[in-house]
Order: sequence, then structure tokens, then C-alpha cells
Amino acid sequence: MNGDDRWDDDVRVAYQLPIEGEEQARNRAIRRLRSESVTRRRGMGAWWVDPDALRMPPALAAACVLAVLVIGAWSGAAWMATRGGRAPLLSIATLPSGSTAVTFVFRAPGATRVSLVGDFNGWDPDATPLARATTGEIWTAQIPLEHGLHAYAFVIDGRDWEPDPSAPLAPVATFGRRNSLLVVGEDQAL
Amino acid sequence: MRRLLALALASLLLAPGRASGDESEEARLRARLKPELATPLIEVVRSAAAQGLPTAPLVARALEGASRQAGDAAILDAVRRYAAGLAAARRALGSTARAAELDAGAGALMAGVPEDSLASLKRARPSGSLVIPLVVLSDFVARGVPVANASNAVLAATRAGAADPALLRMRERIHERILRGEAPTGASREGLRELLMKTPGTSKERGSREPREKGRP
Repeated sequence: MNGDDRWDDDVRVAYQLPIEGEEQARNRAIRRLRSESVTRRRGMGAWWVDPDALRMPPALAAACVLAVLVIGAWSGAAWMATRGGRAPLLSIATLPSGSTAVTFVFRAPGATRVSLVGDFNGWDPDATPLARATTGEIWTAQIPLEHGLHAYAFVIDGRDWEPDPSAPLAPVATFGRRNSLLVVGEDQAL
Repeated sequence: MRRLLALALASLLLAPGRASGDESEEARLRARLKPELATPLIEVVRSAAAQGLPTAPLVARALEGASRQAGDAAILDAVRRYAAGLAAARRALGSTARAAELDAGAGALMAGVPEDSLASLKRARPSGSLVIPLVVLSDFVARGVPVANASNAVLAATRAGAADPALLRMRERIHERILRGEAPTGASREGLRELLMKTPGTSKERGSREPREKGRP
């Protein structure tokens, strides 16, 4: 073994020797790093993709998710309300007698009385009152109807005549406002 | 001979029923209206009955006017015009047209749909009921679709063999488009295009244009 080889062995041994105070030095360095403020990437775009941008307790996160769901449900209900009950509201069933039972549904927020008028009841506002459903805004009535074409409307609080928003309209407003049309007994009633 | 006897017997049995039906309608008019209005109205109703036209829509119109507190002159005028509309509808749809078809046809005619369009519809569906096509047509006109576009849309759909449920779906789609803010003309064109694309036996190309009426460029 020449002098160079011996020198190499000494260096290798020296590297493998434990350094006094190394453990304490590492712990100090970690504490310092944790205490230092981290320099984040700048800009809103960076914030949105930063995984550490938001930190919150799990309970708060769950509350936020619940709030989002509630707001979504409320918005959906409000949107449906603005559509004014345009969903198909007529329910039609054939009765054993051969006539047809038709359930009329009308949404009238704030109304105290709603009735159905049409050629089937002589357009008498007192003949066919609708019953208020449990939700408060929905009014319904079921009546048997003969086959054929029927014109009808709803009367709110004895004053305002309104057509059915879900039904076809009559082509002519003879007495001021158009009526709705209902066909019973054709291939497909509407 | 037996058939003749049966027909005569049936006529005898049915005649009192019809008479009582008319009397019932007249009684309803007299019960709800002042005599000075009920009397001329009953004349209109009797005249319509003599022509074989349905009278129930006339009575209903008079009662509607009374319930809406319309003036006597307005009620009488509306009933007279409707009786004329029923007669015109029968001219266009033929003597075999049912009461509901005449009722729907009269409404369409009074909204400005020409008699030719009703006759074309009858030719497009000679044996089936025209009540739904006429109701759909009336609804289009009521929602602002120009009469020519509305007539062409319903006629094209009927000629393509679209059944009543398909016509009703087309009506709903066009209604939704109009509610979303589309112009009624464009909405009816797109509604017709969608229907024709889904109707068997029609090509997509056919759905992209409106049909031409006879004599139209």
C-alpha cells in the first residue's frame, strides 16, 4: 500500500466518523425552516393551483359543502318558481264510466281563492273551486270531462282570469284574455 | 225496407233527445242572461242547429262572455262571429268533420288562418282527427308565430306523417324556445326541423326547409 492509498483510506474513515452535535444542528435547521415564512408564487392564478392555499378544519369544510348544497337547492327552487309552473300539470285518467278524470293543477302564490272555469261548467267561477295543496302555492281540482275540445281558465281571488301556462292557448282572445285548450279523448290528450 | 223502418224509428227516438238538448241549452242561456240578450242569442243558436253546426261552443261562448262581464253587444257579436267561423270550418274540413274539429277549426280561422290551410290539413290527414293539429296551429298563432309560418309548420309535420304526440312535443319545444327569447318565426322553423329529423321517412335535408304551399314561390 503506497502513501496515496493510505491517504484515501484515512479520508474515507474520516467521512464515516460521527460528527459531534450533528443531531442538534439538524433539529435547529428544521425548526428554523418551519418558522420562516414561505415565499408563495404570486398572482391569482398561482393561488388557485396552490395545494396549500386553503387550510381549514374538517368540520368547517363539511359546513362549507353543506352551505353550497343548500344554496344550490334554493336556487333551483327559485328558478322553478320563476318558470311559473310550466311543468306538465295536467293529469288525465279514463274513468270506468267512459268519461275522463282530469286533474288541473295551478300555481298561484299569494292567492286566497282559485277556481276553474270552462265550457264544462258554464264558465261559472263558483262551480269548481280548486283546493290548496299542502305547499300553499299549488291548487288542484279533479273533474270528469267528456271527450272533445274544452276551453278553460283559472280565476284567482274572483277577479283575475289566467290561462294555464302548461296548456295550448286559444287563438283568439274574444273577451280580453286568451283561454287555454284541452283535448280529451283524442289519440293523445293534452 | 227493414233498414228504412229502422232509420225512421231511430229518427223518431233521437228527435226528442235533440230537441230536449236544444231546450236545455236555451234554458241555460235564459237562466244566465237578460231576455234582451238571450233572445237574439237563441236565434243564432237555432240557426246554427238548423245548419247542422255544433251549438255547444256558441252557448259556451255566450256564457263565458257573461262570466267575464262583457257587454251585451260584444257577447252577441262574438257568438255570431263564432257561428260564422263554424260554418267556414265545415266548408274547409268537409261535412264529415266532427264537432271538436269544427270548434278547433273555427278558432284557427278566426285567428287569421286561411280556409285553404285547413283544407290542406284535411287532405294531409284525410281519415284521422284534425283536432290536435288545429289546436297546435292555434297555439302557434297565439304565441306570435306568423300565420303563414304556423300553418306551414303544422302542415309539413302532418304531411310527414307526424302523429299527435309528435305534434304536441313540437308545440312544447317551440313554446320553450319562445320563452327563452327566440323569435317565434325562427322557433317554429327549428321546432319543425327537429320534428322532421325524428320522423321516420323524412330526411334531414327535408327538415331544413319549409314546405311550399301551392301557388307560393
